[in-house]
Amino acid sequence: MINIFKKTAIAGAMILSAGAALAEYPEKPIEVIVGYSAGGGTDVMARTAAPFIEKYLGEGASLVVKNMPGASGQIGVTEAANADPDGYTLGTFNLPGMMARTIDREAGYDRDSFTYLANVVNDPNVIVTSKRSGLDTLDKLLEEAKANPLAITVGMSSLGGDDHFALIKLQQATDTEFTIVPFKGSAPARTALLGGHVAMGILNISEVAEFQDQLNVLGVATRERSEFAPDLPTFQEQGLDLVNGSMRGFIAPAGLPEDVQAKLIDAFSQLSDDQEFLDAMAATANPVEVVTGEEFKQLTSDLYDLANSVWQTTPWN
Amino acid sequence: MYSDLLHALPDVFAWTNFVAVVIGVIAGIVVGAMPGLSATMAISVLVPFTFGLEPLVALGLMAGIYNGAMYGGAIPAVLLRIPGTPAAVATTFDGYPMAQKGEGGFALQVAVVSSSIGGIASAFALMLLAPPLSKVTLLFGPSEVFWVAVFGLASIIFLLGGNPIKGLISACFGVFVSVIGSDPIYGNDRFTFGQLEMLDGINIVILLVGLYALPPVIDLLETPLKTGGVNSSKLGTEPIWKALPRMKYWKTWLRGSFLGIWIGILPGAGGSMAAFMSYNEARRTSKNPEKWGEGEPEGVAAAEVANNADTASALIPALTLGIPGTAVAAVMLGGLLVHGLQPGPMLFRDNPDIVFGFMWQFLFGAILLVLLGGSLATNSFARLLNLPRPLLGSVIIVLMLIGVYSIHGRMFDVYLMLGFGAIGWVMDRLKFPLPPVVLGLILGGFAEENLRLALRIGRGDPMVLFQNWTSLILVALTVAVVVGPTLKKRFIDSRKKA
Repeated sequence: MINIFKKTAIAGAMILSAGAALAEYPEKPIEVIVGYSAGGGTDVMARTAAPFIEKYLGEGASLVVKNMPGASGQIGVTEAANADPDGYTLGTFNLPGMMARTIDREAGYDRDSFTYLANVVNDPNVIVTSKRSGLDTLDKLLEEAKANPLAITVGMSSLGGDDHFALIKLQQATDTEFTIVPFKGSAPARTALLGGHVAMGILNISEVAEFQDQLNVLGVATRERSEFAPDLPTFQEQGLDLVNGSMRGFIAPAGLPEDVQAKLIDAFSQLSDDQEFLDAMAATANPVEVVTGEEFKQLTSDLYDLANSVWQTTPWN
Repeated sequence: MYSDLLHALPDVFAWTNFVAVVIGVIAGIVVGAMPGLSATMAISVLVPFTFGLEPLVALGLMAGIYNGAMYGGAIPAVLLRIPGTPAAVATTFDGYPMAQKGEGGFALQVAVVSSSIGGIASAFALMLLAPPLSKVTLLFGPSEVFWVAVFGLASIIFLLGGNPIKGLISACFGVFVSVIGSDPIYGNDRFTFGQLEMLDGINIVILLVGLYALPPVIDLLETPLKTGGVNSSKLGTEPIWKALPRMKYWKTWLRGSFLGIWIGILPGAGGSMAAFMSYNEARRTSKNPEKWGEGEPEGVAAAEVANNADTASALIPALTLGIPGTAVAAVMLGGLLVHGLQPGPMLFRDNPDIVFGFMWQFLFGAILLVLLGGSLATNSFARLLNLPRPLLGSVIIVLMLIGVYSIHGRMFDVYLMLGFGAIGWVMDRLKFPLPPVVLGLILGGFAEENLRLALRIGRGDPMVLFQNWTSLILVALTVAVVVGPTLKKRFIDSRKKA
């Protein structure tokens, strides 16, 4: 009797230890921290991508999205930076905002706090004007801006975000000066434009895709025309060198084990070829541009340097 | 456009979509009845669970919860003088005295019928006004929104209760709380003391739970020997069809519905303000204003019709422009986005079946309220809330702690809530009104942000605040609210002397 007991126990122990040795990442649910509330652009990206990442990570993988909104994503990304680097906590990452925040305030993370997995969305900036302003071409806008410095009010979401960087680039390229009106997000900025309370706005293409009848969309800050608005000329076509956008992707805390990192990056890199995923993202007008691992890290670093140089010359607060 | 409305109707009667509304209403009443658990919270908790559901099932649940919760808040407001939701504060004024007189059952019947009427009116407003109203809302730029907030603050200070000085101090406290967190323009920390948890400002739910739910519980526990908030034998429950003929408040219902709908559409102000304004207006025009506050059923009707009338109307700007009229509408907007429904005029063109179906669900939710709320609330909940005081107090405290903890999953918020509870208890003892604190927090933030945006637009010239008729009308209304009562008093005094 005791013998049988012993044998079973030993067999059990062997199975358990074998199981531990054979266990492969992921063996429990992976939490993805989204620093914004449910329903926003970053949240939609995370939730749209989750089932595909599960598929590419293999049998039994499960991603759980957790929203930790607040302070323009800072609370969530800080949480992700400080999590255990075991691959079971990932976070979403927004550029250039996340880097700008390490410059204009005391953030609980820096560019070395993360393992860079993949950027997934690159939502280019567009310049729009209110119908009431009468500034319905880029030339008219720039002419007015040169004739009356600071006379044009520009609605955008918060300072230090992608909209703000687009405006800084515009001002530098054209030697103009605008009056910034930073709203608490893109939606109120767009509403102010629709009502004619501000003359011009810098938004993202996903935010104006459905408002092209009510606003003058003057151009898009991409190298090639956007598939979401093929009739819309780029700024480069109009002789203005302005390329800028809002990027959203996924990171993990720094120090992720190499095999886990490789497995995750591999899963994310397959997103760009998955037509089903591309269609799902297109449905919300989110342009997909997958940049993984080292390249993503480099991109972050470049944007940090740009933000830092801007901050040194023209701090935004 | 309105033909799409009829076209969407059959979908709503698919049984899954209909059951979703029913479950939503019941769940909403339960959540609303629990002090500290608001509709906002219930829906934010729900949204992540609805990803896999069909859009109309998910939206039906939300519409049901919203309607149910706005009524549910009346149950503890009447029976315990604890508003289950912030919008039910005005319901306590006459609801609780009625319960003490043994008319608690009738108070709840009045509340449920009024809530239902308000909800139905609001749903119709959403259906008829949402498409054309997008243009009117566009008139509200930063300077206009600033004046809306100032008007709201002025109304609260001067219209609520007898002591404007105490009201002003309470409102100032709320405005101060609104300043905590990130600066709305530059993102600098203000009064956060280096706490990451404070960066995003004070969550309104934490303040509400602390301020409103804790002091009454302390009172409950202070007198542990008495049982029950209200003597259950005196609840006086009767079937709703018998109670109905006694409710002759159609003027109050009509006025409250209009006020609620209008306030819901305006960004920033929500159910609490609608309820207070409706209550004040109804009392002002009443034949016996002196009886109000002592158990006048019409007071319950005025508050409850208005706080339900702002539910669907708050979605008008949310659906047409992406600006939610209230916090709950903001959460619901998130729910719509999750299902790929982008707000804007295009929404009505691209997804008419879903958006109009959702409006029908709102209407049915409001109608179902009478059936579900009438029987459930008066019979089951009233008894639930009649548990012995120490038990009841402990249950409420546990729910408050769980509710507050579950917002962000952190203890910091619980401590914060307890801190506000202590402040609320002291204020209660010193007879400082609590509503101005909450509205100071909401409207103070709006006022500051929009004033600064407006001044930026005007490049520092304050004249930007007076540049159009919308602003000037709001200024005139504000002046009337501030000066009106004083002038009226002088006028009456001079007549007395003469």
